[in-house]
Amino acid sequence: MSRRTIARRELQSLSREKTILLALLIQLVIAAFSSFLVVGLTSIYEPDAAEDDVVVGVTGEEADELVTAAAAVDGLQTRRYDGSVRAAFDRNEIQAIATVERRGGRIVVDVEAPQSSLQKTLVVVQLRAALEELERAERSERNARLSFEPLPLPPSVDASPYFGFSYTVLVPLLVFLPVFISGAVVVDSIAEEIERGTLELLRVTPATLVEIVEGKAGVMAALVPLQVLFWIGLLELNGIAIANVAAIVTFASAVAVVAVVFAAALALSVPVRQRAQLSYSLGLLAAFAAAALLPEHPATTVALLAIDSATATTYAHLGAAVVAAVGFAGVLRVWVEGFDPETLG
Amino acid sequence: MRPRKLLRIARWEATKGVGGFDRGAVAVIVAAATFVLAVGFVGITGGVALEDGIYRVGVAEDSGYHDPVAEDPAFVAVDPDPDAIEGGRIVDDRYDLYIEDRPSGARIYLAESGGEPTGKSRAALAALRQSIDRYNDRRMFEEPNGTAAFPVVVTIRYVERGGTETVAIGEAGGDGENGTETGSERDGNGTGSGGSDAEGRQEPSDGAGGTSSGGDSADGTDGRIGAPSLGAFDLFGTDETAGTPSDIQPPFPFQSLVLAFLFVLPLNFLIQAYGSSMLSERLDRRGELLLVAPVDRSDIVLGKTLPYVLVSVAITVVIVGVLWALGGEAGALSVLAVVPLSLLFLATTFLGAMFARSFKELTFVTVTITTVLTSYAFVPAIFAETSPVAFVSPLTLVIKDLTAASVTPGQFAFATGPPTLVAAICFLFGFGVYREEDLFTQRAIPHKVLDALASRIHRPRSVACVVVLLVPFVFVAELLVVVVLFALPVAVSIPLVFVSIAVIEELAKGLPIYAGFVHARYGRSLPVTLAVGAAAGVGFFLAEKVTLAVQLVGLPGSRVADAAFQTGLGSADPTVVALLAFAPLGLHVLTSTLSALGASRGRSTFVVGLVSAVLVHLAYNVAVVSRLV
Repeated sequence: MSRRTIARRELQSLSREKTILLALLIQLVIAAFSSFLVVGLTSIYEPDAAEDDVVVGVTGEEADELVTAAAAVDGLQTRRYDGSVRAAFDRNEIQAIATVERRGGRIVVDVEAPQSSLQKTLVVVQLRAALEELERAERSERNARLSFEPLPLPPSVDASPYFGFSYTVLVPLLVFLPVFISGAVVVDSIAEEIERGTLELLRVTPATLVEIVEGKAGVMAALVPLQVLFWIGLLELNGIAIANVAAIVTFASAVAVVAVVFAAALALSVPVRQRAQLSYSLGLLAAFAAAALLPEHPATTVALLAIDSATATTYAHLGAAVVAAVGFAGVLRVWVEGFDPETLG
Repeated sequence: MRPRKLLRIARWEATKGVGGFDRGAVAVIVAAATFVLAVGFVGITGGVALEDGIYRVGVAEDSGYHDPVAEDPAFVAVDPDPDAIEGGRIVDDRYDLYIEDRPSGARIYLAESGGEPTGKSRAALAALRQSIDRYNDRRMFEEPNGTAAFPVVVTIRYVERGGTETVAIGEAGGDGENGTETGSERDGNGTGSGGSDAEGRQEPSDGAGGTSSGGDSADGTDGRIGAPSLGAFDLFGTDETAGTPSDIQPPFPFQSLVLAFLFVLPLNFLIQAYGSSMLSERLDRRGELLLVAPVDRSDIVLGKTLPYVLVSVAITVVIVGVLWALGGEAGALSVLAVVPLSLLFLATTFLGAMFARSFKELTFVTVTITTVLTSYAFVPAIFAETSPVAFVSPLTLVIKDLTAASVTPGQFAFATGPPTLVAAICFLFGFGVYREEDLFTQRAIPHKVLDALASRIHRPRSVACVVVLLVPFVFVAELLVVVVLFALPVAVSIPLVFVSIAVIEELAKGLPIYAGFVHARYGRSLPVTLAVGAAAGVGFFLAEKVTLAVQLVGLPGSRVADAAFQTGLGSADPTVVALLAFAPLGLHVLTSTLSALGASRGRSTFVVGLVSAVLVHLAYNVAVVSRLV
């Protein structure tokens, strides 16, 4: 009973300080920031995002070869020049110069791209596409001299360049941010009661230390699946379909339980907020990095569930997370029961 | 301010808890060591492959396509089940792609939903295309006949338009061997230049991690492909690259991403410790002892901050030292450039710790600061190689320093000036609330913000001073807006810039006016209201003219920047420049008077006044500026 009272009090303080809103807002900003980075960076080199075609001046004895290959590349125009190519480059009529010569049985291309131009990445990407096309054409001409015949490429299709990012970065980010923040709030909440001396007051109430700790940690762990559901809804609204929602929410809750148990244990054994909070964030990041040793990283587990490519390994990780959550919660209860509150400062 | 007292407080802060080696210190050290070990280990073993197995491809073991699928971690090769294909479509949801080998060539099926290929199967096909392309290249490295395997050799040089010719490359002439030592002298990865080891072979490029690829093609007899640092992660950037077409790495701001994390990540842990320390002064009136001692408030605050500044400098020196040892040409400039950034982190955290009511609130404030300031340092630096807009961020100076590019004093001032000013002003406002009434009470954050602003207001005309103090904030916020919107098309970015600028500037003028009314620093009569509005307008106008430096130093010819700062220098007509120089005075006085009229009556009318001020400002921007410039 007192567990629920503690949890309600915790929720009240969160809503009074409007921290929940702030938390959601921050997560939104972080997600927007990473999406902006990807969209912004992709627009630097993604030909579809460019307004105009890239125009390249081609010169040299084998210029025709490159012009033919470039015709297969969308968004790239070529212009033949004989002498005045540099002048055209200086006048900003063309964005790059390609000099194509045949030397020693090879085609040698010398590309000059503008040093200071936002477009230089795009120019190079487009030229690379044309040059790879040229390379394929030249290779097939010399097929007889090769022992391995290059595999034909599948046709290029119109695919979203952000598809992989949405599932492998954005979804795991939005699943693990609430986990991280919840643990940090548990550290704050317990350390503050200890540092302000209000834990003494709580302990003279009928609530035991176990109930206090579990009430505080439990409410923060319970908030995680709610936030994750909120993010999944928002992603669905944005046209990012999330599969296996129930499994993702279960996984997030299990990881959240592990994180808040770690946070609560830290806050009790290191009753100074500064130290506890630093240990918590460093420790959690360390655990997240070390999780790469698992057969499947937790972020990958979430990504595979969301993208609907889950394997038996994925579900094994889900099961292991639930077992770990139950185990950690049990260990915390036993440990706190044997904990001497008088040792707290 | 007395240095001796300041230093003594700094010593107390630095030695707090060091005397007894307590559990907390041990926990922090253990956690930090685990973190470094874990990150280092994962970094060495190749990082986290986030894309592991996201696409499932049905492909037979004996198919030519099995190897490229199996070698790319993004794919899972699933045994093909012929029943999965019915009527030319995949009917089994275990496959995203299904490759069927036929004598006439392979046929690839895409998973469909509602008759259309799904987004996932299309993304999978695009990934497969790249994967097969890379696989072909890998196989080509094993070919004995290098000319047939790699019939095309490319050299890329980056040159200035209309500028002088850059250094010619070491083209060796008619035997197909081309510039091998180019660009390697500045290469920090220890990449050997190719061209001499006949059996060497190029690593597949993975774009991440410090793999060295001083590789070379297989054939030692009829020419080589010298490929210095091509597949490698080129931290310090080279001017020139050469190799096969697929070796070309488009110039991409990887170094900015890495550097931003390298320099900014430690600051985030530092401000966590600093924020805790400042806020714990406010618990149980602990800070009262110092507050009643015969020391200045600024001595207390700066003394408690000094150790953290020193730690941040020390961390930066270590990072720069490591980068230098790795071959970067980093030096004092990098350290000088990071110091304003860490001051900015600490100053905003200090204000946050003064405003927060509990540790929980502080956590959120810290995360907000981390996010906002990281984007401020991070986003502009992405454009370090391509656009002068990058000099908004001090990190750009670090990148320039590492690549041994020169930085003019103007650029240095442009990049470090605003953050230093903002940091100083944050501390100044923080001193205003470092007093008993604010430290030990539970006032809501908006009230404390008003307290901080009002602490500098004594009479109507001092509103002008506060507005002037806020201009660096406006400046940094507007620069951030410009940078964030800079990559978007002009048709989208310019209207968004207009709106954000109007909101930011009107807030900067309106809030001090409102704070003055709330704290009854002046009366609510009409003459006073008009005087306050005029003071705010004039103050803002004068300070804003300083931003002319923007055009002169940093952002010539950027249309977005011109829209933001309205200097009119984009047009050559002197009357336009003159008009734009003085029209804003009228505008700012008018709009801040609108805010003042609203503020004099209460909170809801203040909001109405502020909104109308924003609208007038916006109308002015759209009407005058976009027509003239």
